[in-house]
Amino acid sequence: MKTRILVIEDDNSISELICMNLEAAGYEAIPILDGLEAESFIKAAEKGSISLALVDVMLPGKDGFALMEDLQGAEVPVIYLTAKDDVISKVHGLKSGAEDYIVKPFEVLELLVRMEKVLKRTGKSREKIQIRDVIIDLKEHSVTKSGEKVPLKPMEYELLVTLAEGKNVAFSREQLLNRIWGTDYVGETRTVDVHIGQLRKKLEFHDVIRTISKTGYRLEDME
Amino acid sequence: MKLWQKLSLVTVSVLLLMGMIFGTLVIYRSTVYNQNKTVESYEQQLKSAAYAFAKELQSSPIDSYREATKNSYLHFLIRRYDSSEYILIENGRVVCNETPFELADAADERWKSEEVFSIIQRTGKEYILLAGKKIPVSSGSDYSLVLVKDISSMYYEIRTQAFFYILIYLGVSLLSVLLVFFMTGRILRPLRELQRAAQDIREGELTRRADVHSKDEMGMMAEAFNSMADRIENQVTELEMESERRRQMLGSLAHELKTPMTSIIGYSDSLLHVNLKEEKKERALQHIYEECRRLERLSGKLMSLIGMYDNDSICMETVSMEKLFEQTLSLEEYNLKKRGIRLEYSCQMPDRKLDRDLFTSLLVNLIDNAAKASKEGQVITLTGKDNVVSVKDEGCGIPEAEIGRVTEAFYMVDKARSRKAGGSGLGLALCSKIAELHGAGLLIESQEGTGTVVSVVFDEER
Repeated sequence: MKTRILVIEDDNSISELICMNLEAAGYEAIPILDGLEAESFIKAAEKGSISLALVDVMLPGKDGFALMEDLQGAEVPVIYLTAKDDVISKVHGLKSGAEDYIVKPFEVLELLVRMEKVLKRTGKSREKIQIRDVIIDLKEHSVTKSGEKVPLKPMEYELLVTLAEGKNVAFSREQLLNRIWGTDYVGETRTVDVHIGQLRKKLEFHDVIRTISKTGYRLEDME
Repeated sequence: MKLWQKLSLVTVSVLLLMGMIFGTLVIYRSTVYNQNKTVESYEQQLKSAAYAFAKELQSSPIDSYREATKNSYLHFLIRRYDSSEYILIENGRVVCNETPFELADAADERWKSEEVFSIIQRTGKEYILLAGKKIPVSSGSDYSLVLVKDISSMYYEIRTQAFFYILIYLGVSLLSVLLVFFMTGRILRPLRELQRAAQDIREGELTRRADVHSKDEMGMMAEAFNSMADRIENQVTELEMESERRRQMLGSLAHELKTPMTSIIGYSDSLLHVNLKEEKKERALQHIYEECRRLERLSGKLMSLIGMYDNDSICMETVSMEKLFEQTLSLEEYNLKKRGIRLEYSCQMPDRKLDRDLFTSLLVNLIDNAAKASKEGQVITLTGKDNVVSVKDEGCGIPEAEIGRVTEAFYMVDKARSRKAGGSGLGLALCSKIAELHGAGLLIESQEGTGTVVSVVFDEER
């Protein structure tokens, strides 16, 4: 079962934008355009069926801050997504129990990374990620291809997980370097290229991990 | 040097100088007067003494006396008067002198004059009056009588008087100096208060006024100053309000720009970095296109709003309202037909002075708003009667609490709905501005669920 994300956003175009990207990254997105509609949806939803809610603050019907109670009642972690970037709103949002606060306009990758962090923290992240015949077991830290275990070095594994968690989204070499080797690592982006080469060879992912010119790498998998 | 110091100094110096000149003159005059008076009285005394002496001499055969007898006789005579005051001269030679003074020039012709000759001599600290006169007696010798009188006491008295005068003068001067300082300080106090008030206002305390209530020129100046401060305060408050309005509008504008920007950035970011399916790519492009159009509409409306804030170059002409209505209708016909909404209009209005383009834009905006609120099959009514133009719809209406705010720039009752219908939140702000330029007011009456009437009410007095 895919991870279900509730997208509560009144602007049609932004709602569609978020859903489009979430779906590309392998989530199931449920768009809701109205505060009251969101309230009734959350109340009707089965507990645990929603992993995360992305909530706009300014909503018709019932605003994002007011929805917090319902969402907490349904044990749904919340990330606020709003154009209000003043400190007071941020503090208010985070104090009311939100996991994170993202200011518009945002980048797709940033949104996905922050979502993944919240999901991990709240224990709602996926246990397994499947890409074609490769299954990544996030609990066991193991990777199997067609049922056979593939031995990966720790950094190769981290790189694979990062790419798979943001699948279909391009990462730059710098971003990968920072996320996996840490910002303190004084290495060259060549290191990334070497590890990507290893992954491609070991998993036969030559056409899955694609090099995106001028950007970096992208793990592509359309269902 | 400060004004009060200058004024005080000038007044005090003039006062002191006058006192000094006056005092000197008075003292001089009184000295001369006293001196003359004294001299005159002594001269009188001498005269009578001389006559008495003459009589005595006349009655005695003085010429026949021997030298010694004559001398003792003369001494005897002079003692009868007052030998300590008189000196007797015979033929230019002192005969009797029992005064403490020595007459140096007994031979002088002056003592022989018929009239009294007097002179004041100063010896050491003393003033001596010498007055001489010929004794009018026909005898072989010339006799003259000289009165010697110490008149120092008169000078002493004059000096004492002068001393008193100076004392009084100094006292009065001191008093007048104090008085002048006090008075100029008092008179100029409002000036200092004005200065302090001006300083406070300069420091930003705009409610400060000069506390001066006198009826003189100072009072008038303070009044003028205070009314100036009133004016400035009002204008500053007005400016602050205006800038606050603009600030709020800019804030709303920035916020309003963020939504389409978020979409555009998000979709283009997705197109660049995310592996999307073909149909999703197309949707993304379409959204980018639509959001850009939204921005373009927003900028257009904003331009006209700002344009109207800044220049008053509107072109008023007498316009037939009926024709204006027809024109507006033809502009809106297509739009309304597409939505399935009917527009009815009636006009019973005299011709008016209007800016044709602006007023048409106002009507179009109001009809657009009405159309957005209406459902298919509903009717919008445009009515012109006397001095009121109104647009009525049967749409969803405006919640009562929001009616006051709908003319604010970027204010939208239902954001999601309004955006979907292509609204920018500027329409009514624009209308209200246009109405204002025509000396009219925008009156909004609405009932949720039954519809809205927006009326442009012209001020008849204009």
